Amino acid sequence: MTYLLYPGCSLEAGGSHYEVSVEAVFKALQVELKEIEDWNCCGASIHYVGGTELQTKTLNARNLALAQKQGGYDIIAPCSSCYIQMVKTAHEFDEEPELAAELNQILGEGGLSYSGGIKVRHVLDVLYNDVGLERIKAAVKKPLTGLKVAPYYGCQTTRPYGEYDSVEEPTSMDEILAALGAEVIPFEHKVKCCGSGIFFTEMDTCAPLVGDIIGEAAAGGAALISVPCPMCQMNLEIYQPRLEKILKTELDMPVVFVTQLMALAFGMDPNKDAALNRNIVSANEVLRHLAA
Amino acid sequence: MVMATKAYDKSFREEVYKNVDSGEDVKLCMQCGVCGITCPLRDKMTHGPRQIWSLIRAGKRDEVMDSPDIMLCTSCYTCKVRCPRGVKVIDIMHGLAHYALEQGIVPRAETAKFGKVFWDSIYKTGRVDETEVPMRYTLTAGPIHGLFNTLEMMDIGRALLSHKRMKFKLGPGIPPSKKIKGIKGLKKMLDKAQAMSPGKEG
Repeated sequence: MTYLLYPGCSLEAGGSHYEVSVEAVFKALQVELKEIEDWNCCGASIHYVGGTELQTKTLNARNLALAQKQGGYDIIAPCSSCYIQMVKTAHEFDEEPELAAELNQILGEGGLSYSGGIKVRHVLDVLYNDVGLERIKAAVKKPLTGLKVAPYYGCQTTRPYGEYDSVEEPTSMDEILAALGAEVIPFEHKVKCCGSGIFFTEMDTCAPLVGDIIGEAAAGGAALISVPCPMCQMNLEIYQPRLEKILKTELDMPVVFVTQLMALAFGMDPNKDAALNRNIVSANEVLRHLAA
Repeated sequence: MVMATKAYDKSFREEVYKNVDSGEDVKLCMQCGVCGITCPLRDKMTHGPRQIWSLIRAGKRDEVMDSPDIMLCTSCYTCKVRCPRGVKVIDIMHGLAHYALEQGIVPRAETAKFGKVFWDSIYKTGRVDETEVPMRYTLTAGPIHGLFNTLEMMDIGRALLSHKRMKFKLGPGIPPSKKIKGIKGLKKMLDKAQAMSPGKEG
């Protein structure tokens, strides 16, 4: 099993613990990841301020063209914002011949071309549908028994095409967490938006969104929240002290990537492979009994 | 007898159909209101998408272009997946915001500043340096406010740095952000795409 990895800008920085754990987990599951060479930014959710739709599609078409040149394997885009931008361009390219022609005219300016057909996949999609729960279960050495987890998918992870899971009520991460031995709590906010790309500049406006997500997880007894998106991880975690002031409530909720929990359950190193030392709201306390 | 009715001004809707990304999708809307009611920030919006489409059709240029709502989209795609007519709700909202900004109308100042720094980074280097972009953004407030903003963000920056989630930088551009190898080609492509975008001559 070989895939092309599109890390996106955040996996190099704010989501570095996602990259570490994704690479460790896929290696353990014997899945080969090759980084797309010389990839560029996808435009994320804030692209429209500076660029037009066609310019944003150009950014994504360039990455698709590079992937095709590099073997044409399916692309894994771990960040939900990258995923949605790339999957959207891939779909529209395949479905709208006029747009495809325009994009190829544009790509030609940089000596590239794209003929369509490349599949863009999310980490959850590949884990659930290609690797499968049986192989994940077989790799578990230290089950996460007794760990109550709130599965937060975020808004963009399963949308807008619902290619691998329900856009309204996804279960892929629930099932992966259960396969690790964790107790998954019912979580109504699982696909409610956290504020996404405008959270940083509209924090007062978006604070209640995060407050509601963490609030429901805490009320349900969750020891931590599991996410598959670096932007959600950032929005839900790093601003907690500031959000406590805006919302006048206590938060203090660890927010970890599903792949960090997988690495831990696979018996891998909590820091080297699961990168738990990169979480600012520490999950060590709630995970301590599992390390034994 | 003179009829006491006023004809709709069609010029603004034609302007939107022609110049705004996915603007023609406004024609598909049947005013069911699902987009507005499912929006996570519906309580913070004055109009919401459904009413914006209605105002476009009614020719209410100023109400639409001055609405802070057109830049309050979180891009969560809830409206898009629930719209029974398949309207590209988010693309139109983003398109309207882009169109307003191009004309010097700034629906939401902070997001506009941040978005500009973000896009400039893509255009100059091909990627977004997550240390550099917030630094440059805080400085858009001017040297004094910028310094205060930087101090205010210091705790978060320090936490990210000490947890290996941020690179060390002395200041914006020091050390410079790395460029992708194909940056020249990418710039040519982006320029070409701009010239070919709706409302542009090219």
